[in-house]
Amino acid sequence: MSPRPVLALVAANLRRHARDRVGLFFMVIMPFVSIVFVGMAIGNGTGRLPVGVVAHGSDPVTAALLDELGRRPDLEITRVGSAGDLRSGVRSGELAAGLVIPGDPARLQLVVTRTNGSGLAARSAIDVAVGRVAAVQEATRAAVTAGAAPAQAAVYVRQAQEESGRVAVTGGSAGAADPRGFAYTAPANLLLFTFINSMAVAAALVESRRLGMLQRALTAPVRRASVLLGEALSRFLVALAQAVLIVVVSALVFGVTWGDPLGVAAVVALFALVATGAALLVGTLLNAPDQAPAIGPPLGVVLGMLGGCLWPREASGEVINAIGHLFPHAWGMDALLTLARPGTGLTAVLPQLAVLAGMAALLLGAALALFRRRALTTV
Amino acid sequence: MTAPDPMTVPFTPPAPSTPPGPAPAPSPPALSCRGLGKRYGDVHAVQDVGFDVAPGEAYGLLGPNGAGKTTTISMLVGLLRPDSGHVRVCGVDLAADPMRAKARIGYVPQEIALYPELTGRENLRFFGRLFGLPRRELAGRIEEVLDLVGLMGRADSRVKTYSGGMKRRINIGTALLHRPDVLILDEPTVGVDPQSRKAILDGVEHLVGEGMSLLYTSHYMEEVERVCDRVAIIDHGRIIAEGTRRELIALVGSADKVELSLDGDVETALAKLRAVEGVIEAAMTGATSIRLLTEGGRHLLPALITAVDGCATVTATQVIEPDLEATFLHLTGSTLRD
Repeated sequence: MSPRPVLALVAANLRRHARDRVGLFFMVIMPFVSIVFVGMAIGNGTGRLPVGVVAHGSDPVTAALLDELGRRPDLEITRVGSAGDLRSGVRSGELAAGLVIPGDPARLQLVVTRTNGSGLAARSAIDVAVGRVAAVQEATRAAVTAGAAPAQAAVYVRQAQEESGRVAVTGGSAGAADPRGFAYTAPANLLLFTFINSMAVAAALVESRRLGMLQRALTAPVRRASVLLGEALSRFLVALAQAVLIVVVSALVFGVTWGDPLGVAAVVALFALVATGAALLVGTLLNAPDQAPAIGPPLGVVLGMLGGCLWPREASGEVINAIGHLFPHAWGMDALLTLARPGTGLTAVLPQLAVLAGMAALLLGAALALFRRRALTTV
Repeated sequence: MTAPDPMTVPFTPPAPSTPPGPAPAPSPPALSCRGLGKRYGDVHAVQDVGFDVAPGEAYGLLGPNGAGKTTTISMLVGLLRPDSGHVRVCGVDLAADPMRAKARIGYVPQEIALYPELTGRENLRFFGRLFGLPRRELAGRIEEVLDLVGLMGRADSRVKTYSGGMKRRINIGTALLHRPDVLILDEPTVGVDPQSRKAILDGVEHLVGEGMSLLYTSHYMEEVERVCDRVAIIDHGRIIAEGTRRELIALVGSADKVELSLDGDVETALAKLRAVEGVIEAAMTGATSIRLLTEGGRHLLPALITAVDGCATVTATQVIEPDLEATFLHLTGSTLRD
């Protein structure tokens, strides 16, 4: 199969898209507007979980606990006046979790809601902090029992702590929370806009069919597969360009860390294939070019909502998130957020990649078969 | 004379190869089809259509809307698989070797198929690439075609800003880039202003004059009469008559009318004109005018003028020949529906 007709179709289609100013606005400006505004709305960019602490005592254990909690990079500690205020703070969602340190620090009281990922993450962070303080207490007591003076025991323990600090604990605990701020909205909007803009460019495909461009192309000595590939490749490149633009700009301007480049490339490429399949399907099924922008983007928005691209997933609840996993956006979010955590790579997102590949194969297969039948008839 | 049944018109399909005289190794027809048929359910859109377009010949397919012209053309250019029959382009079987056959056809669809967001030049470049024109040749060829269709000045404007006639012209130019052996025009003047229509017909005549084979469909009688050497009349999916314009008109069998204006002895002139061979009937229609009913009117004019020599001078003549419109009406029992 000669590449020239394919390239001719791609060049013509890309030039058409480049001339569509409204389309360009939605590709180049809108994603970043959304990343910035939603990013500012759902977090201050630090990614810290707000945890309230009620502490009345001033004993060394309470002080050590407050100190340890304050040192956690993932927690934002706020002192709260009373346990009642703490509960209402957690209930309203203002606080991810609360900790009451009573006069006797041996009996700490944790306040969390169960259904919420931030709460679980805060809880595990607090568990770690408490565990460390308890370990220090225990080690100091052991050193004193072994004959060391209390001051000497503290030095030993501090040394031991520094040793263990070098062993980095990565990968987070079971309930690792989604990041906040741009770290969340950048991947969310990558998926959202890659899909929506693919849907919007489906209009150009409907237009090509309506004008008879594809039929006419087939009166040239061009194989059907070339026309098919040319049209598919045109949409794929648009989707890919959208995704790459968001990755690069968000990394450079907003300092978003995307993680393992290979993993991100795999997720982005597969998601762009999914979007291409969806665009071809829409472009083949619809008959008027105006229908594509009327149907495609709303569909993209709904799938984005279900997949956690419009607001944080933990705000949606389990049912919505389960439904969301019927569609590609949720899997894309899972994969991109996993990759953004330090120490993860391509292998950490293999299940998500497999699901996305399956969805892409299904959509592209259906779209190409239908496209061949509906849009390209020839001898 | 009684009107023959449209289905029993004396119509002989063209012989596969009838070169005039002892031509050496006759070149195959530029376009040839035999027994083409296409059914949609119970409807026979096209039935047993067959004709040849010789190299350099302009062939017309004349028929009302819905007669099967576009269906026939779709099968000729490889967009529609015929239920029966075959198509050859310069001897290449379309079904067996579509790539090679299609490369020799320049097809201009009835609807304008161009990217409106791209300029005329960009559209030409797109189709030039589809037809596999080498990169270094393409730019020069685009210039030639732009010049040919008279759009050099607007080449870099987007097609959506073009007038209807300009779009038609670039639509035709698109099919000329690869120098096809046969140009197929499907109703190229639909919805075009008279000026553009003239430009298109002039251009088409120019191309045929340069030796390009042409298949031209239209439901405009005068276009087909003007452009085409031979014409097939198609109705209800069948070719019901085929031949040169004159042959087709002869099917109707009606005579030409010749109007003469004379100075001199008109009475004597009338008697002399009646005696000229080929004159069927003669009558005075005024003090200085005579109407004749003749066979082969135009060719008779010198004889008519000579005949009255001595008694009168012919000051004006008008030959009113029966046209394809009359033939069509005669064959199909209907006018060309617009």
